[in-house]
Amino acid sequence: MNTSTAVALNKQVAATRRKRFSVTKAIVFLVLGILFVTQVYPLLWLLLYSLKSNEEILSGSFFALPQSPQWGNYSSALEGNYFRYLLNSIFVTSVTMITVIILSSLCAYAISRFRWRFGGAVMVVFLIGMMIPMQATLLPLMIIFKNMHILNTHLSIILPYVAFSMPIAIFILSGFMKTIPHEIEESAVVDGAGIGRIFSSIILPISVPPVMTVCILTFINIWNEYILAATFISSEKLKTLPFGVNSFVSQYSVNYGAIGAFLVLGALPVIIIYFLLADKITQGMVAGAVKG
Amino acid sequence: MNVLKVSRWTIAAFVLPCLIIYIGIVFVPILVSMYSGMLDWNGIGESTFVGLANFKKLLFHDSVFWPSVRRTLMFAVFSMAEIPIALLVAILLKRYVRKPNFLVSSYFLPVILSVVVVGQLWKTIYNPASMGGMLNQILDAVGLHSWGRAWLTDPSVAMYSLYFVALWQYLGYHTLIQFTGISNVPDDVYEAARIDGAEGFKADWHITFPLIVPIFKISIVLAFIGSLQAFDMIMVMTGGGPAHATDVISTHMYNMSFTSMKYGYGSSIAAFLVVLCLAATFCINFIFNKLEKRYS
Amino acid sequence: MAKMSKLLSIVLTGTLALSLTACGSGNKEDSGSGASGAAGSGSSTSDTTKDKNITITFQNIYPDPTDPKNKIMNKIVDQYEKDHPNIKIELDSLNTDQQKLKLKTQAASKEIPDITVVNPAAQMQPFVDAKLLAPLDDMLAENGLKDTFQDGLLDWYSFDGSTYAVPDGNNIGVVYYNKELFEKGGVKVPSTFEEMIDVVKTLKSKGIQPMAIGEKDTWTGSFLFMNMLLRTNNGPGFLKDVLDKKKTFEDPAFVEAVDAFQNLVQAGAFQEGATSFDYNAGENLFKTGKAAMYYMGTWATGGIESSSVNGKVGVFKFPTINGKGNPDEFMLAPGSAFAIAADSKHLAETKEFLNYFMLSFPKEAFEAKGAVGIGQKVEGDFKAAGYSDMAMDVLNMFKEVKGGDLAFDNTMNPGTAQAHLSSIQNLFAQKKNSADVAKEHQAGFEDNNQ
Repeated sequence: MNTSTAVALNKQVAATRRKRFSVTKAIVFLVLGILFVTQVYPLLWLLLYSLKSNEEILSGSFFALPQSPQWGNYSSALEGNYFRYLLNSIFVTSVTMITVIILSSLCAYAISRFRWRFGGAVMVVFLIGMMIPMQATLLPLMIIFKNMHILNTHLSIILPYVAFSMPIAIFILSGFMKTIPHEIEESAVVDGAGIGRIFSSIILPISVPPVMTVCILTFINIWNEYILAATFISSEKLKTLPFGVNSFVSQYSVNYGAIGAFLVLGALPVIIIYFLLADKITQGMVAGAVKG
Repeated sequence: MNVLKVSRWTIAAFVLPCLIIYIGIVFVPILVSMYSGMLDWNGIGESTFVGLANFKKLLFHDSVFWPSVRRTLMFAVFSMAEIPIALLVAILLKRYVRKPNFLVSSYFLPVILSVVVVGQLWKTIYNPASMGGMLNQILDAVGLHSWGRAWLTDPSVAMYSLYFVALWQYLGYHTLIQFTGISNVPDDVYEAARIDGAEGFKADWHITFPLIVPIFKISIVLAFIGSLQAFDMIMVMTGGGPAHATDVISTHMYNMSFTSMKYGYGSSIAAFLVVLCLAATFCINFIFNKLEKRYS
Repeated sequence: MAKMSKLLSIVLTGTLALSLTACGSGNKEDSGSGASGAAGSGSSTSDTTKDKNITITFQNIYPDPTDPKNKIMNKIVDQYEKDHPNIKIELDSLNTDQQKLKLKTQAASKEIPDITVVNPAAQMQPFVDAKLLAPLDDMLAENGLKDTFQDGLLDWYSFDGSTYAVPDGNNIGVVYYNKELFEKGGVKVPSTFEEMIDVVKTLKSKGIQPMAIGEKDTWTGSFLFMNMLLRTNNGPGFLKDVLDKKKTFEDPAFVEAVDAFQNLVQAGAFQEGATSFDYNAGENLFKTGKAAMYYMGTWATGGIESSSVNGKVGVFKFPTINGKGNPDEFMLAPGSAFAIAADSKHLAETKEFLNYFMLSFPKEAFEAKGAVGIGQKVEGDFKAAGYSDMAMDVLNMFKEVKGGDLAFDNTMNPGTAQAHLSSIQNLFAQKKNSADVAKEHQAGFEDNNQ
């Protein structure tokens, strides 16, 4: 756009276009603005919710502000082992994400770039599992983990999280790696680089954008996961954040305000990290423009 | 197509760690489930082998099953229909907003929120007007009282209310993915197109779309996975009710396996799900292989 | 680009370091709790050399720290751990649905926790049949625990002469009503079901929501329906007769109950959209004074007492229908109960603990004002201890119980129960021919009892 020729060429066209654009632009911004409100409002709603009393929540109307902010909800939420759950969640999630990325990128590389007979077959095997819901395997997994003696350890949830995230990760990564020009590797081979070097210093850095996508997908699939965690983990000190939310739902009473407070506390770190890294994430993705 | 000739050991080192975990944790349990589908078993006590009896009953004598399959497929159709909308939003963001990252991130927020939040929020929106339901109150206020519904409890609309929540929640998700795709299209491509006289949406149709076909495929696959696995949201909002009106395959499977304690029967539903997944994967791959060939 | 990968590598090394340290501590914890069978390595108390360090896993459904039962549980457990330094009670507190799912999964791999929670009669039968639960007769004989339970209550948890679980509650189904709203609507407590329909219509015409229900949790409607069946059948035992093939669901008594139930629904008794209200949301309509009547088990008493309608609430027995039935027959709701795993590694110690827990339970519950509807006899003056008038009414009603029925899912197997529950839920969504509903039940029953 900054080339002066283009500017000169378009000067007149631009003048007429600007007028038309101002109307279109207004509509566009209106649409985008409405979307912004509808997508961000839940957070605000949650904040208000977390400061209401149980009775206000269940009887009060949608937009009402809390009569007097119930900060007590936050203290009951913190009473419930919040920090331990948070640490466990961060630990489980980060180990899962790192493992998924390392293992799947290795595998995706082999599938998309190596010349071997079973590449296609392996891909199909992964595709089969891509859409299977985790709940369908709950009972067999319980028996497997019992025999592995890893019930009630973090490993018993990290393993299925990793395994269930791998198919989609391999699907995305191998799709991307297929598009990397062959010349890059060929010249590296000529320079005498081994396959490990090629992978770690050429392929991985190029693959940052799809890796970012995989990170996000993996994260949203496991951060709020509860059914597997609740089934395989029994020790209080190993439990993750979704336990916190569900611990406020007991047999004949539900502490809605405290659930709200806990949800705020559970979502807060994620939102902060997400917005801090949002620029980096999208930039990282944009950096993949090598492809064109 | 693949260039690198490497030793068998190298291949093993690259592939096996992944494959072993995957086969042990995903593949074997699926096979076990398929076998359990041939048992008459409550999940706790003794089991008896009944061959294909469960499947026969499932396919021919289960009044809940086929409607739940239909709803699952409808779910998938709606989720996929959303992707062009997400693409449009992404294009608008890219074209009209100077610093789009903040907006893209904001649109993504509902995806991060726990399904408990989303469920509670929409329940309060869908409630009857007398219970503070926002949607019905708004309809009343603009004089459309007759449009008001018991959104989650009228069997004829309840499922559509659920589809809508899913669409709302995942709009930002697909927008982010499409936005990434568009951002990867170099500016000079558009510049060249403009000189050729292609601008605006015309340029998008001829340039943007072909270039982001692979990204489109990812979105489609994710939408499909999402709708097959739609479980938590339905459990939170309607629990499959009223009277199975909002049951999908996964909730039916859960109810049979665990609530009704017919684990064998539930497993036969799981087996059906696996077959459905396979068919869907191959369909999607087939269509996109054709598309990619046409455009490249 | 370069900056990005640098950032990534920093993040990676950071999380790896974190994960390594966390792994270390994780392993340490495992040797403590996971391998609870082995002798604890670091037994710090030297005077208990002959006692091994033991961890007892206590799965329970009291996860909410603001719930009195959670406080009672923690108090008793803390005291026990103090008295027995070598024993650690690991609490696995889950919400009800999750606990049911977890226990079923655990049962399939024969890996159930030392103490778990089961529901009475038909619901716990599969676990007993699979020999997963330990008989508790010796534990009940210890310290006279058996005699603390109300007469006959343990029968619901006994199979072939042995008791397999001890309940935390025993309740009956009653109608709570808001006296203020009744006055405003100019209606009186109905003594027949026909009067009750009139009350509903009158309240409705004056803009007062007559009844509240949380029908997303399908058992709530079923509980009320079963009370109607108890009346139209002129006494208890209908489901048992069906099981014994003496009757079918197409019996006139059943059809009459469906008719009565539909009359109530069609009279507009329940709030709009009732099937999307879960148990708590339904109950809260009553607790916030937005509904005039609420049919529920007496376990709701505590919650109503601590709500804004406290002091304005009375209770009445579900009335007769078409002159049939006896109001002194109630829906009986023996509560969820603690059971012990048959293959628990520390069977003796677990029994000793549960014995202590149950012996302490009534006293602690009484003090925490949670003793209405517990399964054990309570010594003490409720009035003097500050229990409300409504609680006293409920307690008096317990004395008038002349038998009754259990809930549907405690009598029939889970498959039949699910068919029934969704059939009844459907009545909230649309009006049906009562004979068809009966047929639907019979088909569901035959389908699940081959």
